[in-house]
Amino acid sequence: MSVRNAILGLLAKKPRHGYELRVAFSAVVGGASWDVKPAQIYTTLDRLEESGLVQTKSDIGEGREPDRRIYAITRDGRHALKEWFADGVTSEHQRDEFYVKLMIGLISEEADPARIIQTQRVKLFQELHDATAQRDQYDARAQLAKIFLSDKVIMHLEADLRWLDMIEMRIEAIKKQPLDEVEIRKRGRPKKEDGGSTHPPPAE
Amino acid sequence: MSNIQTEKLTKTYGAGGTTVTALDHVNILINEGEFVAIMGPSGCGKSTLLHLLGGLDKPSDGHVLIGGHNLSDLNDDKLTELRRRKIGFVFQFFNLIPVLNAVENAALPVTLDGVKPVEAKSKATEWLTRFGLSDRLMNRPDQLSGGQQQRVAIARALVANPELILADEPTGNLDTRSSDEIASLLRDVSKQYGRTIVMVTHDPRIAAYADRIIFLKDGKVADETRLEKKNGKNAEDVVEKMKQLSN
Repeated sequence: MSVRNAILGLLAKKPRHGYELRVAFSAVVGGASWDVKPAQIYTTLDRLEESGLVQTKSDIGEGREPDRRIYAITRDGRHALKEWFADGVTSEHQRDEFYVKLMIGLISEEADPARIIQTQRVKLFQELHDATAQRDQYDARAQLAKIFLSDKVIMHLEADLRWLDMIEMRIEAIKKQPLDEVEIRKRGRPKKEDGGSTHPPPAE
Repeated sequence: MSNIQTEKLTKTYGAGGTTVTALDHVNILINEGEFVAIMGPSGCGKSTLLHLLGGLDKPSDGHVLIGGHNLSDLNDDKLTELRRRKIGFVFQFFNLIPVLNAVENAALPVTLDGVKPVEAKSKATEWLTRFGLSDRLMNRPDQLSGGQQQRVAIARALVANPELILADEPTGNLDTRSSDEIASLLRDVSKQYGRTIVMVTHDPRIAAYADRIIFLKDGKVADETRLEKKNGKNAEDVVEKMKQLSN
């Protein structure tokens, strides 16, 4: 979604080649942290063209190879962009692999939860170390955009580390609380001999 | 002085049934020029450890060895001399003298040690200038921001040219931005000027500036981690490499 809308926004400024879009997008998101493959750019552009949000400028006469086409935003494209700007962005914190790992560690008893937490802490500290070192390299007079992104990374890592401290202190308490498992229902039509009820199983 | 070592370092407070063990047989080794952060929950013994390393307190058992010298073997005079000449202290609340200006504050340790005032002030000015305070030399603490006051305090810690800096929550009284500046400055002091720094902090953001983090829990070393430097591998280099690969 971000790539699609970023492309629309970049094209709203001026028509560009696919390659130019990729470079411009990389510059916006600060380079290595968010690698967009050329294929993704072109697939997105194709979809945008199909939806009538961008059009290729064939009158340039540079041929029809994807990397030579010049793309421009349409009126519908500007409208879609406007809608994007008008809405807030939902943050994504629910699908957290570490959280899943910790919970599965607790359920399976195949790993020590305290160790899982400490291992994660060490990893986050390394990331935080890299992020602060990286931010130190930026010049606030010319690279404030990159500093903003670094700060976001740093503050999120900081929050994650604090959260680890918090859960570590309460890990014994959660062990005493059985984790809910969603009830499993039989699939398909109930058999006649079951009298239509499949769950809960009849008491013996 | 080469490195700092603790051997079975133990500190207990109180007596009889109410004894509290603040440090419990702690063995650590800190190398010359290393920047180490000590972390852990309140009451884990991190400040106690720092006080023992600086000879500000005496262990109940075990030893602190600085450059191979056992602090327990030093008499009070020798210990004071070591503290004054070899160790610089940085505190959370800066502890600057309100009626002295930045230069006078930073020069204080060597002035007290009998160095001529002119020479002492010149050394202090040197450090303050390195720390970007050349236009604040004559300001008193109340005319400086928190971050600037802490920079003066770090200059004061360095003025006697110690090899070891002990910092107790050096950013505990600062806003986020000043905290980053101070942590970054401490990293520079360690890397550019080769000083060993041991810093106690509860702030993960600040600890991440160090070369190594030692985690204390219930008076014991629970874990430690060395933070690897990615030499010159910044984002731009990676992007450049990616471009080359995709062409």
